[in-house]
Amino acid sequence: MALKKLSKEKMGEVLGELSKFRLVAPAKSDEVVVFKQIGDPQEAFLDYGNSTVPPKKFAFPQTETLFRFMVGSPELKEKNVEEEGTTVIFGLRPCDARAMAIVDKLFSWDFDDPYYLKRRELTTLVGMACVEPPSVNCFCTSLQGSPFGTEGLDMLLTDMGDYYLVQSLTEKGEKLAETLSSQLEEAPAGDEKKAEEMARESEGRIRRSISTAGIPEKLPGLWENELWKRVSAACLGCGICTFLCPTCHCFDIQDEVDEGGEGRRCRMWDSCMFEEYTLHASGHNPRPTRRERTRNRINHKYSYYPNRFGVIACVGCGRCINLCPVNIDILDILDQVVDAQ
Amino acid sequence: MVDVNKLREKAKEVVSRDDVRLLIGYRPGTYGFRARPAFVQGPDEADELIFTPACVNNLATYITLEEKLPVPRGQEPDLRKVAVMVKGCDSRALVQQMEEKAYDRDRILVLGIPCTGVVDMAKVEAKFPGVLQRGEIALEGDRFVLSFNGSKEEVPREELVADKCLRCRYPTPLVYDELLDEAVERFADDDYSDIAELEKRAAAEKWAYWEEKFSRCIRCYSCRNVCPMCYCEDCVLDRLQPQWMRRSVDISENTAYHVSRAYHLAGRCIQCGECQRVCPVDIPLMELNRKFYKDVEELYDYEPGTSVENPPLLSTFKVDDREDFIL
Repeated sequence: MALKKLSKEKMGEVLGELSKFRLVAPAKSDEVVVFKQIGDPQEAFLDYGNSTVPPKKFAFPQTETLFRFMVGSPELKEKNVEEEGTTVIFGLRPCDARAMAIVDKLFSWDFDDPYYLKRRELTTLVGMACVEPPSVNCFCTSLQGSPFGTEGLDMLLTDMGDYYLVQSLTEKGEKLAETLSSQLEEAPAGDEKKAEEMARESEGRIRRSISTAGIPEKLPGLWENELWKRVSAACLGCGICTFLCPTCHCFDIQDEVDEGGEGRRCRMWDSCMFEEYTLHASGHNPRPTRRERTRNRINHKYSYYPNRFGVIACVGCGRCINLCPVNIDILDILDQVVDAQ
Repeated sequence: MVDVNKLREKAKEVVSRDDVRLLIGYRPGTYGFRARPAFVQGPDEADELIFTPACVNNLATYITLEEKLPVPRGQEPDLRKVAVMVKGCDSRALVQQMEEKAYDRDRILVLGIPCTGVVDMAKVEAKFPGVLQRGEIALEGDRFVLSFNGSKEEVPREELVADKCLRCRYPTPLVYDELLDEAVERFADDDYSDIAELEKRAAAEKWAYWEEKFSRCIRCYSCRNVCPMCYCEDCVLDRLQPQWMRRSVDISENTAYHVSRAYHLAGRCIQCGECQRVCPVDIPLMELNRKFYKDVEELYDYEPGTSVENPPLLSTFKVDDREDFIL
């Protein structure tokens, strides 16, 4: 696919052009970088490491109405995802795009999730290569990812200094490049090689790693191992590690009914680290303490998911390590899994 | 600052006692300058304990957070003490919990650590980005000394210390069975200057301010779970039938959550600042809590978590209590 060049001066024009779609880009709210729908191209904040909250909510909203109803009436007003229109998520990191590709497998597994899949169909992902790994706890290269990874992306932008190198990766990406044709120029010769060299350098700057070989097979045998008590002892049972995880995808479904009888059925992010997540109506809880809940989190990512879908449900973005209030560190847990007898 | 060898020796002695089943302290974190909570059950494990200005967590939270499974038939519950290391602010959480009769004083053994201030890890990481190797932080005189990668850096205390420490009235623990070092003087008084500007704003401006902050909330509940005063066994947020508060994440529900929590902490918040420290999206929750704290102090001359003999503010009535705001 043809490489193009986007002069940094034209970024405003490009974002303006993309505003005819639902445009989602990183933006600053105080010092926190979050992905949000932006109206004014000035709002986009592209000089960032990685967002605190991954952009997964634009495929899988934190709270999503599935249908509306009136108590006592059999009629349902169903959600039409198409009304949200075509979306461009601009400037996400390769790990977050890869995470979406991983989560796609779940939402198209035994049942095709119409809301999620329609939204994915309508969304184009424009990535921004990590010329510099964004955090000390980045470990994407341990999970078949890369700071310049393209999996899940439709287009990849690489910061070359004065300009971005633009690489279309899919049909959606080609189509977007056509839309932007008046802003794009031919890429200088030799840039492809230069970008490959930059990718190698960036990978070399990733300092944390884990060998995942054998972990999915080993985990089931460690069910009663005392390591789970050790690694979960400090856990507060909050949902940071799962809510900030780009591959965590658990949800609850609840009905919300207003006093007048108008209601909606909606689904919302849920966290396996919450006590009531597995609480049965009988009052029994099969994961009664944070030991079982931590064990489940690691098993889900590193055993159940790869067994079912052939890929570990972790992309090594490091958010769960960066932001855990008590320094529970998934790499530390995995090291203990490797060492466990 | 407390001598680490003395600390470890004391910990060994404590966990060797027949009436102690666990000691909660700190150990080095997994990367950078972090420290993390440690749960020591035997003398061998005591050698990993540390106390440095990186020991930011309020360990009083774990006294009430511990999960207890039903005791199997024929077995006795383990009623031995839990030992806990506390800084000044952490000790206030214990005091407040005990004021509220959360548990018996006899259940815990308190090792008090006079505190010369902890660092704000965000400030440390802004100054030393990308430090991966475990590093150490110590206070020497009025400077923090940070050791990492085989080198040492000195930084004036004011640059890295947590804001809460600069206005701390109680750096020496207010409750303890043993104090592990000499008591320290308070550094400054709290003049509430940090919330003065916010207080002056018009209601509409305040709303715009909080709307922006609360709209970022992802309802991970880390602020609730880390809070030593949020120890209800049955939290209103987790109730599904009836559901008092919706799980939907929107400005209305988020606001209801944070305002309810602030109200539940009025006259109870002990200013450890953990809620704000852990918030992944930087919501300045202590501004809310400190406004209530200030009001409680001014209206009722009451500071939560300062005396075990004090009854909780909201369960007392004095004839001279202010009531001019009641219709």
